[in-house]
Amino acid sequence: MPSYLFWLFSVIMLAGGAAVIAFRNPVASALSVVACFVGLAGLFIGLSAFFVGVIQILVYTGAVMVLFLFIIMLLDLKDEEKSAKPLVPIAAGIGLVAAFTMQLIGVLSRSPDTTAPALDAQTFTVAAAGFPASSKIATNLLSGKLPDVHLIGRTLFTQYNLPLQILGVLLLVATIGVVVLSKRQAD
Amino acid sequence: MPAYYLEALTVTLGIILLMAETFCSCKGKSWVGIAAAVGLVAILGLTFTAIGPEAKPTAAWASWPLWNFYQFDSLARFYKIFALVTTLFVILLAIDFRSILARFTDTPDSEAGTGEFYALPLFACAGMMWLASAKDLAGAFVSLELVTVTFYILVAYMRRNVGSLEAGVKYLILGALSTGFLVYGIAWVYGATGTMRLAEIANCLPHLTNTTPLLFGIAFVMIGLCFKIGAVPMQVWIPDVYQGAPTPTTAFLSVGSKAAGFILTIRFLEPFLASEVTRGPILTLLLILACATLLFGNLAAIPQTNFKRLLAYSSIAHAGFLLLALAAWKPETAISEGSIKVVSFYLATYLLMTLGVFFVLAQVRIQRDGETIHDFNGLGKSNPALALALTVLLAALAGVPLTAGFIGKFMVFSLALDAQLWPGIVVAFISAAAGFYYYFNVIRAMWWRDSHNAPSLILPPISKVCIGVLTIAVLVCGIWPQPIWSLLK
Repeated sequence: MPSYLFWLFSVIMLAGGAAVIAFRNPVASALSVVACFVGLAGLFIGLSAFFVGVIQILVYTGAVMVLFLFIIMLLDLKDEEKSAKPLVPIAAGIGLVAAFTMQLIGVLSRSPDTTAPALDAQTFTVAAAGFPASSKIATNLLSGKLPDVHLIGRTLFTQYNLPLQILGVLLLVATIGVVVLSKRQAD
Repeated sequence: MPAYYLEALTVTLGIILLMAETFCSCKGKSWVGIAAAVGLVAILGLTFTAIGPEAKPTAAWASWPLWNFYQFDSLARFYKIFALVTTLFVILLAIDFRSILARFTDTPDSEAGTGEFYALPLFACAGMMWLASAKDLAGAFVSLELVTVTFYILVAYMRRNVGSLEAGVKYLILGALSTGFLVYGIAWVYGATGTMRLAEIANCLPHLTNTTPLLFGIAFVMIGLCFKIGAVPMQVWIPDVYQGAPTPTTAFLSVGSKAAGFILTIRFLEPFLASEVTRGPILTLLLILACATLLFGNLAAIPQTNFKRLLAYSSIAHAGFLLLALAAWKPETAISEGSIKVVSFYLATYLLMTLGVFFVLAQVRIQRDGETIHDFNGLGKSNPALALALTVLLAALAGVPLTAGFIGKFMVFSLALDAQLWPGIVVAFISAAAGFYYYFNVIRAMWWRDSHNAPSLILPPISKVCIGVLTIAVLVCGIWPQPIWSLLK
């Protein structure tokens, strides 16, 4: 991905993230999350993770955040009131963030830079060798297309099969929890 | 029987009970709890017949790819038994606690809203069992989240009680934060080693040229794990959440959630501690965490007047002792038990003592309508047998000789002595002394303070049996700890 695009999307993402906290109006905050997710999706697409980028827009921006907005409007939330800002927690927060940034810079400066392999015909051919010759993934790869939905699906159902099934139980528990905690009293 | 049936059976039991509870029109809901307890006992029995693929390599199931994600060694079996026993006692505790649960759910005068409270711990139990068998970080993370999400619900279950709701919100926010740290750390570990499988991580450690990114990731994973085991720097939530949550949930949090955190810590750190490359910095980190946790837990427990809050600080203090055992890392040899077995043994004794105390606390909460230390006044006169049991349990928590708690603490101290961890030993000594003070404060309230016409407690049969069994187990394991060791073999 061209580096100016990387910087553009990163700035959108960081500005969106900061705006979520800075705005007092919940609707404005929710819309800032949308901006943040759009930047994130741009980064994913720039890294050739097209499927993840599209899902980021479809699921998170499209579905989850719209639900958030609905709930905010249904509950008719007012602007958050300005509270007195105690100095100590703010100073501690800034200190923690500064320490974290310093460490991150230190770690990154000590690690050698590596570039991701380019998505060219040679990479595709090498990758296709790992799959059965007549499979959909291999034919797609050999014809120069990136079958990323198939690849993700295959990885999920082979390399992460048990975690995927445990996630199913987790979703069941979460659903039960929502019902239990929000059930209205039956008359 | 292949070992993975155990989790499948636990989840199936949970789903069947949820369905039965929904479609049954009976008024009381305690039968759900009794059915869950009976089912858990059956699964517990099956645990002893469960085998891994090594035990029967010819069977068809032994070559299934499932074993890429799932291991069944003695440690996994021990922590599965641990999860099942904890869940069993928590559900029994919940059955006796149902009058309070009913008061703060849907319809205050009926048990209509309490059915799920017996079924949900089963899912958390399945999560803990999967966690004990996890072979890669992705599986471990998903199982840990299954446990945590179940706890979010169980903590906020009494939603008409402000304390429970507040605890639920606090636990949710801090839990989400710690999950973020955990995932971020796992991402760094994956980036540094190129794999999430624990066995492969161990293989690639000697070939690493630069360990800085890996250590950065390990530090973040440890922050996330400290939340689960209740250690500094993520211990802030413990007192408030323990105090606000329903008492069975608190018991489950302080035993089950902590053990789940420790088995993951052990599994995660084992490859790094076995390698020369990363051992030094991790042991330093563990020692700092252990000392800070010991000091915070024990010193902050001294001024507490609420017994449930006191137990919360005591749970932090015990996490400190367990971390100290890991900081004094020692692999298992023919002549000595290693750090891992000492931690597991300590956790087993902690289960017996803590669950026993929570059974007593729940009855005091129900019948005297309070959880402060004053509510235990005069218990020695009104219920001498119960007071005696609680005295034994508290003395074991403090680490009095001839109780199970003493052996656990003694082994932690001897590990630390072997490793020459002098700062750790000094801090642990101060902490143990402080522990004697605050646990005996409660004992003093029971025997030496008069209650002003507080009614004597009438124990329901389940609580009576459970308190009796746990107290006797604490005494027996204090003299003859072989049963726990044989489980670890």
